[in-house]
Amino acid sequence: MKRLLAFTIATLAIRNNLFAAEAGMPQLDPKYWASQAFWLILVFTILYISISKFYLPKIKNNLEDRENKIKKDIDDANKFKELSETRLKEYERILENAKKEVIKIHLESKNTLDKDIQKKKETIEKEIEKEISKAQKEIIELKKNSISEIQKISENIAASIIENISGDKLNESSIKATVEDVSKKTIGKYL
Amino acid sequence: MASNPMQQFSVHKIGPEIKIAGIDLSFTNASLFMVISASIILLFLFFGSKEKKIIPNKIQLMAEMFYAFVAKMISDTAGSKAKPYFPFIFSLFMFVLFCNMVGMLPYSFTVTSHIIVTLIMALFIFIAVTIIGFIKHGFKYLSIFVPSGVPVVLLPLITIIEIISYLSRPVSLSVRLFANMMAGHTMLKVFGGFVISLGLLGGWLPLGFSVALTGLEILVAFLQAYVFAILTCIYLNDALNLHH
Repeated sequence: MKRLLAFTIATLAIRNNLFAAEAGMPQLDPKYWASQAFWLILVFTILYISISKFYLPKIKNNLEDRENKIKKDIDDANKFKELSETRLKEYERILENAKKEVIKIHLESKNTLDKDIQKKKETIEKEIEKEISKAQKEIIELKKNSISEIQKISENIAASIIENISGDKLNESSIKATVEDVSKKTIGKYL
Repeated sequence: MASNPMQQFSVHKIGPEIKIAGIDLSFTNASLFMVISASIILLFLFFGSKEKKIIPNKIQLMAEMFYAFVAKMISDTAGSKAKPYFPFIFSLFMFVLFCNMVGMLPYSFTVTSHIIVTLIMALFIFIAVTIIGFIKHGFKYLSIFVPSGVPVVLLPLITIIEIISYLSRPVSLSVRLFANMMAGHTMLKVFGGFVISLGLLGGWLPLGFSVALTGLEILVAFLQAYVFAILTCIYLNDALNLHH
């Protein structure tokens, strides 16, 4: 309550003071109008000239420079991007070609290797066959030889056995015939 | 008790009396604060455009933002034809804005709270816009008073209304700025007076109001500078691009 009362009193006092002011609005006193107009025109003219001649062109240049720089940078970036893309494509192409080449080389070498192996195999087989036939021939010859040797030896042994047992020398041709006969009968077992 | 809230608007002489051809052109506190505001603008722009950096520092960024703000305002309202008037609109906006803002400082003087100052600016704009209109369009500029698509019966009435509204432009432009600044500063002073007279017990409420009003007044200071500049652009647009 006290505060409200004080507030009212103060308000009244200030309002009375406001209305009692003799001067009213100093704005409507024409005493310094000419001075204010003069100084306003003077100050504003100086301000206008210095702003329009010095500062605005400077700021404008600055802004334009920045815009140009940004534009240039973006252009450069785009150019580099394109360049890198073409480079990447080229790289991929090269890689693809290399892969194809690798496959080709692989196939070729495989083919030549196969042929080589085949050829060598054939020659070796031929050689082996040759060797085998040669060996067979030798074996057959040896067998033949050995049979005649064995006959001779058996004839000798038979002759000497007969000589030792009976003390007589038998006819060589008869011994030979007998041995031949025996060996013909038994030779089938060995040949 | 509290001093007169209108005391802050009184003009007094500083230094010697200057009289030219019988007219008193003495340097006053109003002149002083005009010079201070203009100097702050020039200093701000000097440091804002001193270094040409691709990545701007704070003050350069602020100067460039003001530039872009005013440039956008002009191109939005008056189009590309208004480009030659950009320096003038920029200077006008900066001057009104800084005068308003400097006036927000305690113990300072608000240049734009004087009707004579705003009236001279508004009259200059009005006369210049009218001259530009006549130079660009000749007597066809008078067609601004005859809107298209109006019934013939209403035409005389509408034309009279248009002429009155055109002629009242300098008054509305100047009184808007002057009244806003004066009312705001008077309110601040009155609430400041309340704080003193109500003392420790009751002074807190008006103090809070005072703080809130200061914020509001800073907004108004910016807004009125913006309105002053944008209305100039609109008037310029009428003169440059005749609508038909």
